[in-house]
Amino acid sequence: MPPAGEETGGMRPENLVWVFGTARTGSSWLSAIMGEIGGYSRWHEPLVGHLFGNLYYERAGHRSEDEHFILGARYREIWLGTVRRFVLDSATARFPEVAAKDGRYLIIKEPQGSMGAPLLMEALPESRMILLVRDPRDVVASNLDAHKKGTWTADLMRKGGKEKPPSLAESRPDAFVKGQARRYVRDVGNAKKAYEGHRGHKVLLRYEDLRADTLETMKRIYSALEMPVEEAELARSVEKNSWEKIPVEQKGDGKFHRKAKPGGWREDLTPEQAEIVEGVAGSLLRELYPVRSNA
Amino acid sequence: MPVFRYPTVSGVARRVRAVLGLEGDVTRGALSEPTRTNAGGPSAVGVAPENMIWIFGTGRTGSTWLAAMMEEPDGHDVWFEPRVGTVFDPQRFQRHGGKHFILASQYKDVWLRSIRNFILDGANARFPELDGGYLAVKEPGGSVGAGLIMEALPESGMVLLIRDPRDVVASWLDATRKGGWQTRRRGEGGRRAESLAETKPNAFVRRHANAYLQHVGSARRAYEAHEGRKVVVRYEDLRADTLGTMKRMYGELNVPLEVAQLAKAVEKHSWENIPEEEKGQGKFYRKATPEAWREDLTRRQVKTVERITAPLLEEFYPTVPAEQQG
Repeated sequence: MPPAGEETGGMRPENLVWVFGTARTGSSWLSAIMGEIGGYSRWHEPLVGHLFGNLYYERAGHRSEDEHFILGARYREIWLGTVRRFVLDSATARFPEVAAKDGRYLIIKEPQGSMGAPLLMEALPESRMILLVRDPRDVVASNLDAHKKGTWTADLMRKGGKEKPPSLAESRPDAFVKGQARRYVRDVGNAKKAYEGHRGHKVLLRYEDLRADTLETMKRIYSALEMPVEEAELARSVEKNSWEKIPVEQKGDGKFHRKAKPGGWREDLTPEQAEIVEGVAGSLLRELYPVRSNA
Repeated sequence: MPVFRYPTVSGVARRVRAVLGLEGDVTRGALSEPTRTNAGGPSAVGVAPENMIWIFGTGRTGSTWLAAMMEEPDGHDVWFEPRVGTVFDPQRFQRHGGKHFILASQYKDVWLRSIRNFILDGANARFPELDGGYLAVKEPGGSVGAGLIMEALPESGMVLLIRDPRDVVASWLDATRKGGWQTRRRGEGGRRAESLAETKPNAFVRRHANAYLQHVGSARRAYEAHEGRKVVVRYEDLRADTLGTMKRMYGELNVPLEVAQLAKAVEKHSWENIPEEEKGQGKFYRKATPEAWREDLTRRQVKTVERITAPLLEEFYPTVPAEQQG
């Protein structure tokens, strides 16, 4: 593929840093820390991975060998090239300050587009990638809380002019848990697949490590991705975005900032629900948390 | 009119036969490697956007039949269900309206150009020798994205292909029952659908009536907004007078075509020319009889379809609905 800066007159793909995983893994926190450092900007959930990944992996996955299918295998190089231009043109239009200067980076927080991560990383092999993971039981517990009545997700919908419909989280919580565990497997599974296939700069990051020692973990990220950062500035951003700095009234059950407590699932899920998650996401759990899964 | 023939990706009729297990393979064998073209630029090589004709509506409206006829004339070809419309289904992202969303309205000019490139790159790669010819894009299953596609390609022509929703639902019901062509085709997934068609036929009818409303409704809105060449084709008119309807369609689309070529295409793909053993209940070619829903659906099912699809039914089939008849 030609150098994107030349082909688009703008954004360079190596200056894109993708954050994949799934929702409720701390991606807002991570991208806030990174996005506030000088020279870095943040693209908050473009969902471009969902745009293409949904058709490719879910709705028409069975048609990959069909040469008429727009995302068919025979024309893969061509449509990946178009996806590449799609992303770079959109990034250039939104973040001209990143495109205009060398040495600037764009953090793309895309946990909910992780389904399409393998396609995006194949289309943009020069880009950098963070695979952000969290114990699936904590992820599911967080989602279970978020989708109950009167929580922050309802507020979000109300801001968009809609009322949140009744959720399975209230009426059939075990079914909700199973659905969320499947979503975890889909998102994190595809993000991991992209991570394994990506030959460029990349780093695997656990939410639990970020909570345990934020600054050190952040330093490891920049080092692995070979991106410049001043330690003092990084420390300031870590401090500014720390859990302790969030006002108490903005934290707790039903809020976006809930408890930030690894292992909190033990208090939040019933034993049966924990078993459901372990049954559905067991393979990823064992792989990503080889010790903790036995705890 | 171009008089050459070029290698097609694969013929519509042949594809249908392959899908139904009546023929082995749907690929076209030895071909040149896909070519990357500059789709965003002026229509230099391959497919010109003004020569694309999009067929939107929903499944079981006769789009395969229409596409097969449209593929026949020299210099015409068919892109068979690319499903590009499914990628750009705005309803899928209704709650993501912010400026960061990839399809945010503030950046519409940027991403509409990307959609245009996405489609034209795909078309040119598949039909590199269609220089100056016409490409019909059979896309009923991608009708949810019809609005954005036609906005990205305002020079293209559009066919809104519709059929009485009661017949469409009756056709799906037959296709997904035990032994139906769709059930056989889908294997494991089909068996699940079959079970709904068999065990909860009323729920199945409700679901497909809603799908009709969503797909045809989206296509209808795209048709309304499209300022280029366009035409509404009713399946029932196509059945009643195929040649006359085809002539009207091409006339509205301003596509020059020799009547003799058209007549030949119509004749070749007529109902009468389909082998008897490929027609009938549970088969892809079922009845082709408008208003057969009167025999196929229960009164309750008819009422369900009429209630859900009322806006479209009233517009395109303005007769007294069954529920108001005696």
